[in-house]
Amino acid sequence: MRKNGFLLTIMLAAVSRVLSGAAQKPASRVLVASRNFANDATFEIKKCDLHRLEEGPSVTTVLTREDGLKYYRMMQTVHRMELKADQLYKQKIILGFCHLCDGREACCVGLEAGINPTDHLITAYRAHGFTFTRGLSVREILAELTGRKGGCAKGKGGSMHMYVKNFYGGNGIVGAQVPPGAVCILLH
Amino acid sequence: MAAVSGLVRRPLQQVTVRDAINQGMDEELERDEKVFLLGEEVAQYDGAYKVSRGLWKKYGDKRIIDTPISEMGFAGIAVGAAMAGLRPICEFMTFNFSMQAIDQVINSAAKTYYMSGGLQPVPIVFRGPNGASAGVAAQHSQCFAAWYGHCPGLKVVSPWSSEDAKGLIKSAIRDNNPVVVLENELMYGVPFEFPAEAQSKDFLIPIGKAKIERQGTHITVVSHSRPVGHCLEAATVLSKEGIECEVINMRTIRPMDIETIEASVVKTNHLITVEGGWPQFGVGAEICARIMEGISEKLVLEYSQAIINIVYLNTYWIRRLKPAFSPRSCIQFPGCSRCSCHWC
Repeated sequence: MRKNGFLLTIMLAAVSRVLSGAAQKPASRVLVASRNFANDATFEIKKCDLHRLEEGPSVTTVLTREDGLKYYRMMQTVHRMELKADQLYKQKIILGFCHLCDGREACCVGLEAGINPTDHLITAYRAHGFTFTRGLSVREILAELTGRKGGCAKGKGGSMHMYVKNFYGGNGIVGAQVPPGAVCILLH
Repeated sequence: MAAVSGLVRRPLQQVTVRDAINQGMDEELERDEKVFLLGEEVAQYDGAYKVSRGLWKKYGDKRIIDTPISEMGFAGIAVGAAMAGLRPICEFMTFNFSMQAIDQVINSAAKTYYMSGGLQPVPIVFRGPNGASAGVAAQHSQCFAAWYGHCPGLKVVSPWSSEDAKGLIKSAIRDNNPVVVLENELMYGVPFEFPAEAQSKDFLIPIGKAKIERQGTHITVVSHSRPVGHCLEAATVLSKEGIECEVINMRTIRPMDIETIEASVVKTNHLITVEGGWPQFGVGAEICARIMEGISEKLVLEYSQAIINIVYLNTYWIRRLKPAFSPRSCIQFPGCSRCSCHWC
């Protein structure tokens, strides 16, 4: 008993030394930090190589709390929708092909954050997330996946053929989206 | 002769097929600023076969666009443009090269209206010379009527005369569906009499309607594109022997005007189909199948009245061979050396 108590004391002393070592800040600063939180955050972006351009995109960007929460909500929605689609696919309620983007929601949400609704977008077969961020509801997307007439293409397109204004799918043939996508050169 | 519209049009002038297509495109480019033409050599060279002569000078870089030699690339760009709201005319130097881009034509253009549940129309025209030319050998002589005619979602037209060419190209451009226009290089320089109504800027030939070029009572001869001319020549020869042929110019491959052909076969009881494509699974095969399925109740075909499909084996060397057949009343077409008869 005495031996255990002695060991315990040593351990406690060691732990308190570690803790006090970690909290190097003076007490006043710790108090101030716990009451302040940022309303926006600044991020550095890697500079792009430029070809025949004078200026590239900006190297810093500011994310406001409002936008951050909005993106988080969108990503969560896409994530849960994709998990559900995964489950439905395994139950064979969704047939054919089903390419999911749970885990890569940041691609579609981040892309949409950087463009306008009037810009044109085309993608390959992993289209569910982009369809959502371009404006379709989860209900329409899941209805399309399950082949119902309430789906955005009345059930005739499925996973890879969802279209919204200024969003040209969804292409089943790998790489086939590249030439139609190059049309933005012609349009502008 | 320059083919920019605005020339004084004399009534009943002779117009070549090339100039007719040029006029048709010119009028549609003028009428709708969303229409534009792209393809290899269409702009500064005035067109590989001079079909788009004068258009680049008149409309400039934004409407008449030279593309690199990448059919899959520029056909895809054209499809994307059509999806985004423009009305492209995509020229293939010949349809043999369209095989490079056939994925964009079928999967990206033809199927999209259906697969989007009606949300995304693709108002595009693919045009260019199809079928055999003079001595260009197998890789440059294929007829794509059967290949494109097979696909739902596409309309396929095949003009013969200048009137056909102008009316069909204008209808194709105004149509909101993908339309494949199969021209013929050997016909480009052939002049035809242009009727008065064809000189109007709103002259359209409906897609899906065949034309009876020559009335007859003894035998129906159905064809499309250049062979129509040969059928009419053969009909002239035969009428001296007292056989009157009814020559039908299909004009449209898909949707096929089977009613006109049926009505004619019911009248004559004999049918010959003539085409430049390969026999197996061809346009003639489809006509035969539909006639046999459709009118077996209206018409009893006796053993000796089988349908003859005539196809051209169109490579340079074959033209020298004599026809190796002699059924009872077979018509010998110039350049033809093979007949696939259903009863042989």
